Amino acid sequence: MIIDVDCHNYWSSAEVLLPYMDPFFKDYFIRGEQPGPRGAFPHAHRPWLHPEGFKRADINPVSEDDNYAIMKAKHLDHYGIDYAILTGDEALEASTLANPYYAAALVRAYNDYQVEEWLPRDDRLVGSIVIAPQDPQLAAQEIRRLGQNPRMVQVLASHGASRPYGDPFYHPIYEACAEMGLPFAIHLGGQGGINSNPIGAGPTTFFWETHAILPQSAMTHVASMIAQGVFEKWPQLYFVVIECGVAWVPSVLWRLDANYKALRKETPWLKRLPSEYFKDHIRFTTQPLERPDNLQHLWSLLEAMDGKNTLMYASDYPHWDYDDLNSLHIPPEWRQNILGDNAMQVFKRLQALDAAKKAA
Amino acid sequence: MSENKIIACKTHEVAPGQQKIVQLDRFSVGVFNVDGEFHALLNVCPHKGAALCEGPVCGTTAATDGRDFTYCKDKALVRCAWHGWEFDIKSGEFLVDPSIKAKTFAVSVEGEDVVVHL
Ligand code: FES
Repeated sequence: MIIDVDCHNYWSSAEVLLPYMDPFFKDYFIRGEQPGPRGAFPHAHRPWLHPEGFKRADINPVSEDDNYAIMKAKHLDHYGIDYAILTGDEALEASTLANPYYAAALVRAYNDYQVEEWLPRDDRLVGSIVIAPQDPQLAAQEIRRLGQNPRMVQVLASHGASRPYGDPFYHPIYEACAEMGLPFAIHLGGQGGINSNPIGAGPTTFFWETHAILPQSAMTHVASMIAQGVFEKWPQLYFVVIECGVAWVPSVLWRLDANYKALRKETPWLKRLPSEYFKDHIRFTTQPLERPDNLQHLWSLLEAMDGKNTLMYASDYPHWDYDDLNSLHIPPEWRQNILGDNAMQVFKRLQALDAAKKAA
Repeated sequence: MSENKIIACKTHEVAPGQQKIVQLDRFSVGVFNVDGEFHALLNVCPHKGAALCEGPVCGTTAATDGRDFTYCKDKALVRCAWHGWEFDIKSGEFLVDPSIKAKTFAVSVEGEDVVVHL
């Protein structure tokens, strides 16, 4: 079983969203100021621009149909992927907008577009309910609106955020996730606009420099989700961290455990060590998997985070730092778990979909 | 030089600064025209095996001790289609670490034909 938990579906222009928007926001979109040419998706862009563009150079869709046809040929069929979780693309950036109503309208339109125009193309594709977390109540509404759809397997937000995700401000989101039985995932992105600078010491300068230290805000979110007791309040919840690196995880867990042992009184609602919450509730995705000269160094770290059980394969198709399934540098005896079994565990709806597929 | 010489294409089919990907025997090969000189690279990236030659042919910045951005090697390198590693088309060398090389093939021009020596 091969499950790709981070497969980007592009659009040819953000105008594909127009048919799915209420008249008022449609008008905003068509006539309002935009951050780029006609058809650009409204967002407060990150300060770093990729000097070559984000896409792999061998993937150049010119139409919506092309987007899918190329994904099918170069990715899904080529690697024999059983399920690919669509993670959209620019829609995540709605989280950077100050106007939460507009942001909510945009992700609503994106989600409907995804359900109508992507999922029917291929039964290997499953979707993410993208939310604009700056208004957690609206986000929760969106989760409940689409949460019954069996092909929507997670709730997805950008890792750029206005405050750490464990903050009680966001709890309505987890309430809704728990009610619908969906994991909450964050994906790299959403930097800029109203979101905190993801780089602790101030803005970095270059794209590659910034991308290399992208774990910084993920560290904050992981610590916050654990410390604020999210997993005590919602004991079934999974938190999935996509595209934020993994080799740093043991270091942060060691520090969290050590500090908690001394200062547990600050968070009396916690019943276990931070690392225990991590093992039961937090999952990381492989791409971009670090590559030291000595692979053994990486494997020791992955072992320290119980990588066999906490990592899930992600390709990040079709981005510039795409990981090839066949040259994933993980211990061979972990492959089965990381390529598919762990994801089956986390994305409960895939179990049902798979059972139905096998029965058919 | 190996004996296995195969006509890859006609000279006019690859303009300066461009590439053409051809199947020669069991190899996919990129034929490049750098300033009127033809070169051939195996269409497999030494990094993770992508179709290297499908990437853009372009230039890059010259190394410097200062803060200047000097554009160099214009149309003399190919950026791998996947992760953008830069390879010098003539030598096959990866710019960051020249000990990593894309496989190159000798090329000769015979009349109108670009001939690759496999
Ligand atoms: S496969 Fe060519 S740069 Fe990675």
